[in-house]
Parts: sequence; C-alpha cells; structure tokens
Amino acid sequence: MNRLVLTLLAAATVLLAGCSGSHPSAKPSELNDHTGAGPYFGAGLVPPQPRPSFTLTDTAGKAFSFGAQTAGHPTLLYFGYTQCPDVCPETFADVHQALATLPPSMQKQVYVVFVTTDVKHDTATVIKKWLSNFDLGGSATYVGLRGTQAQINAAQAAAHIPLAEDGGQTHSAQLLLYGTDDYARVTFLQSTNEVQAIAHDLPLVAKA
Amino acid sequence: MRLPWPAVVAGLLAALVGGAGLIRGATPQSAAAGPGPSAAPPIVVTNAWLRPPVPPTDSVAVYFTIYNTTGQPDTLESVVSGAGASAGLHYVIDGQMTATTSITVPAKANLALAPATGHVMISGLYGPIVAGQTINLELNFANAGPVDVAAKVIPLLAPAPGTVTTSGATK
Repeated sequence: MNRLVLTLLAAATVLLAGCSGSHPSAKPSELNDHTGAGPYFGAGLVPPQPRPSFTLTDTAGKAFSFGAQTAGHPTLLYFGYTQCPDVCPETFADVHQALATLPPSMQKQVYVVFVTTDVKHDTATVIKKWLSNFDLGGSATYVGLRGTQAQINAAQAAAHIPLAEDGGQTHSAQLLLYGTDDYARVTFLQSTNEVQAIAHDLPLVAKA
Repeated sequence: MRLPWPAVVAGLLAALVGGAGLIRGATPQSAAAGPGPSAAPPIVVTNAWLRPPVPPTDSVAVYFTIYNTTGQPDTLESVVSGAGASAGLHYVIDGQMTATTSITVPAKANLALAPATGHVMISGLYGPIVAGQTINLELNFANAGPVDVAAKVIPLLAPAPGTVTTSGATK
C-alpha cells in the first residue's frame, strides 16, 4: 500500500504523461498567455538554461556532441519517441510550419534536434525515417539522436527535462529553444498557438 | 489559415446531419431529435480531424469538439472505430495525459479534445490513412447514446484546424 502511494506520488511529482506528453509545471494555457518573463510568446525560462553538453549517436551512427556541434545556432531540442501518436508529431508539424515563416537565411542557422526516449524501439533507421516526414522543403538541419538508457537519462537531466518513463512513452512535452548566446530563455508546450509562438520567438534568439 | 465562417457553418451542419441522420439503426432515443428545424441533437460534434500516422507509428490521435446541447451533463463512455484494432480516450488529468474510460461534458458546454488536452487514440491500424480521407468514429454517450463522427484526415504538415497562426504562416 505504501509502495503504491509512493509510486503515485512519484508519478504526480514529475507530472509525466500516460501515453505521450505532459506539461511539466503550469497549465499550458497559463504558460502561453504571453504573461511569462521577457518578450517571448512561449513560456519564459527564469533563470535561463545554458545549452547542455551531452554526446549521443546520430542516425548515421556517428557521435554527436550536442553542446559543441550546435553551439552558436538557434536550436530546438525535443525529447520524444517515434511511436508517439499525438504530441510528438503535432510538435514537429508545428515546428515545420513555424520554420516555413522564416527567411531561408535564418532557417539555415537552425538546428532541430530530436532525442528519442524509446531506446528499445527507436533505431537509427526508424528515427531517420520519422524525421524525414517533417524535414521537408526547408533549410534547417534536423538531427535525430539515440543512445543507451543511461545516456538518454543524462541528456534529459542536462537539459533540465523530467526523465521519461514507461519505455520512453511517458515523456516531457517541452520544446526547448536555445539561442545564439547558448542559453534557453523560452520553452514551448503543445498548444493551439504553438506555431505562432515558435515563429515569433525564434527570430528573437537568432542572429539578426 | 483562419477558418472561414461558411466552413464552420458547413461543419456544424455536417455534424448535425451526422448526429441526427447517421444514427440509423442505433437506439431509438436518437429519434427524439425529431425532424423539425428547431430540434437540436443532444450532442453535436464539430471540427473532427487527425493527421496521417507518421511511420513507424501504428496509431493516430483524433481530435474534435463536443457540444452538449442539453441541460444535463453527459458522459462519453466509449469509442468505436473501424479504422483500427482499438480506440481509447486519452485526456489530460491533473497535468498528465491519461488513458481514461470516460469524459464528462458539462451541460450546455463545449469540451474540446485538442493536441494540448486530449484525443481518441486508434491503435493497430487496419490500413493506410492518408490526407483527404475521412475516418468514422462512433462515440457512445451515457445519455445521448451513439453519435457518429466523420473525422477529416489533414495533411501531415498542415496547420491544425482551429489553431492560431501568424499571417505569414498561412500557406
């Protein structure tokens, strides 16, 4: 009985999702109310979070050092899994639409990084195929990353994201945006105005 | 892409027709809606949509808005779809997306299943689902009985219907 209660408490504390995504702190409507800190439409992060350093494996099988290889670039970072039916494809569809509103010169600076939370099923081939559905007609660089469970956990911790559970299917819905100054000052959650928020905030953290 | 009013009205009409007309052979209580122009069905479902599944995903999330026209709360108790092996309700409860057995729609109120709030998940898809198709769902309500819904499959990268977009985002 006590163990059950503790388990429930633990689940509630990290606010993770049953099937796909979750909202880590406040309600999305509150976070997208344009009342957050700073000039952002997304949820302001106070204090700003530095671009994390972690090394995972990309879909070509090569080591990818997130901190070093995306440094100085506007970077969208998301942790999810390819079998995700709702938040993950919605978020990446939103990213696609938001990027399409930016001039190609700005798109070229942008990294979109997907880190799988499902270490068991998301192989390099699977991730590559999944991302190819969203990486269409734009100039941004899409990167799909995978690793051991320990590596994925370390990457989430470095990015201040609650650790995914249930084989990666219960995961945070946050889309972090790092700027050219290598800090994330804003994060996005799935909402009806996510496209607008990303399209508005990304130029604010990109080079003029 | 802003929803033009004619489309909204058309959608509403389609839902009305669906709610009243497509319940053929279902429980007799649906006949209570009657043929008159003023007879509103107890439950009206609008803006039903989904994106095609993204390979290797073998499930889809269907979104829609439920309007309970009656003066009593009604409860969506189950969903049936011919599109896949199983269909279930997922809803954000206390901040987390949760598989649930029922969702209650307050009296005279809207309840939206949207990407941030909830969906019907259809798993074990029987065949390909592509943009332009519609897939049918039967929503079973405690009071209103079965309500048939035709959900439109939108292109994978299209804006979600009913969302806010910047003027530049419109394609």
